[in-house]
Amino acid sequence: MVAHSGSPGAVRAAGRLNQPRPAVVETRVDGTPVRVNRQPVALLREEWRVVDRWWTEEPIARRYFEVVLQSGENAVVFRDEARSCWFTQRGA
Amino acid sequence: MIACILVPGFELRAALRKQPGLALRPAALAPAAGTEPLLGPVTAEAERLGVRPGMRLGEGLATCPQLVLVEQDPAAAEQAWEEILRSLEDSGFAVDPAEPGCVYFETRGVERLYGGLEAALRRALAAVGTAWDPRAGAAQRRFAALAAANVARPGQILVVSDERLHDFLAPLPLELVPMEPRRRAELHELGVKSVGQLAGLPGAAVAERLGPDGRRAWSLARGGKPARVRGRRPPAEIVEALEFPEAVGNELTLRRAFAALLETVLARPERGDRFIRKLALSARLVGGGSWRRSVTLRDATTELGRLKAALSPKLAELPAPVLELRLELVELTEHDGQQLELLPAAGGELDVRLREGLRQVRASTGSGSVNQVVEVAPWSRIPEARALFVPRDD
Repeated sequence: MVAHSGSPGAVRAAGRLNQPRPAVVETRVDGTPVRVNRQPVALLREEWRVVDRWWTEEPIARRYFEVVLQSGENAVVFRDEARSCWFTQRGA
Repeated sequence: MIACILVPGFELRAALRKQPGLALRPAALAPAAGTEPLLGPVTAEAERLGVRPGMRLGEGLATCPQLVLVEQDPAAAEQAWEEILRSLEDSGFAVDPAEPGCVYFETRGVERLYGGLEAALRRALAAVGTAWDPRAGAAQRRFAALAAANVARPGQILVVSDERLHDFLAPLPLELVPMEPRRRAELHELGVKSVGQLAGLPGAAVAERLGPDGRRAWSLARGGKPARVRGRRPPAEIVEALEFPEAVGNELTLRRAFAALLETVLARPERGDRFIRKLALSARLVGGGSWRRSVTLRDATTELGRLKAALSPKLAELPAPVLELRLELVELTEHDGQQLELLPAAGGELDVRLREGLRQVRASTGSGSVNQVVEVAPWSRIPEARALFVPRDD
């Protein structure tokens, strides 16, 4: 008896690019960020909301902020309204 | 002798492997989306309660309100069937599969190997596995072997010699002879209900009344023409699959993922310089079902554009969102005299250098370190849904 020599091939799991990463954000009363990952925010450039997939079991409700930190670095952070926590994200 | 191994209701049995509890309940294979609402094979319990394969869906549910409809899983059935065929091939049988659940082989070569016809058939049944309840039939002719396997009980072997052939076939029901349902109905109306009654009719009259299909059925009823069984060419085993982080229903996204899979599978070293003759695309669907389409190319090729053009349109036929997409090179052929390029295409050398560079990176950093970014939904408002990264280990 001779076993088959071919290799069956593999299942490759595709990953998501620009996955959100948890961030430590301090805010003002109105919810705008003051410090992102312990770095003070120098400028708040833009703010927008994304509400999507409300028809699924994993709805998305995010409040995004594009900020410039005191170090000169650009950053995009958002607050996940459903889970009440903050994330940074590239590619936004 | 020609042997036939039969697993009745194979598609249902394959679909029930994921939910074995249903095997003891009244269950039937649901009709495929977009086809006539007719039930597929049914379980023994459903049969006991009056449900028959081929019954209209509404009639089946009215007959047995507790009937469970099992969704078709063609990819699982195909995979299980391929495992069975390989197991038979590993035992030395040169198989000629007719359809999932029915396979023929010539016993002449293996009789000596296993010490006789019955021992060889017993070995074949063992190779299929008792879980499938296979039955075996053997005769000098293909149709007679199929009829014998149909009559046999699970695990039983039925050998029909040529002398006993007509006596064996005569009392069998006409349903065993493959023909168009309306031709069968016509014969029933004429009072022809057994194989023997059909075989007893004059051939010319049958051909005149029922046409070529009837003539073929008549010929089979008389045992059929003696024909050789040719073993299949075992399929190539080059498979690439892509699992999505979430179910994907968008056709454009699927086309892009398919293109990435195609590039990866073409770069597999096992393919060597061989050309692709037949390839299959399958998908695992949301809700547990599966989907599969295969394409045989008139001219074997490795051209990305032609392969995409052959299979991409099939993605529009997907009945539900996809969790995993799988591409299989089923049959490869040697070079068959295609016109080669006189000069290499622009960028060809750069492509080779890039691949070599990536190979070096992979060698130094390990598997999974080289990825391809596939833009899947660039219009999405959710940044992480716009692109996927797919590992490239080719």
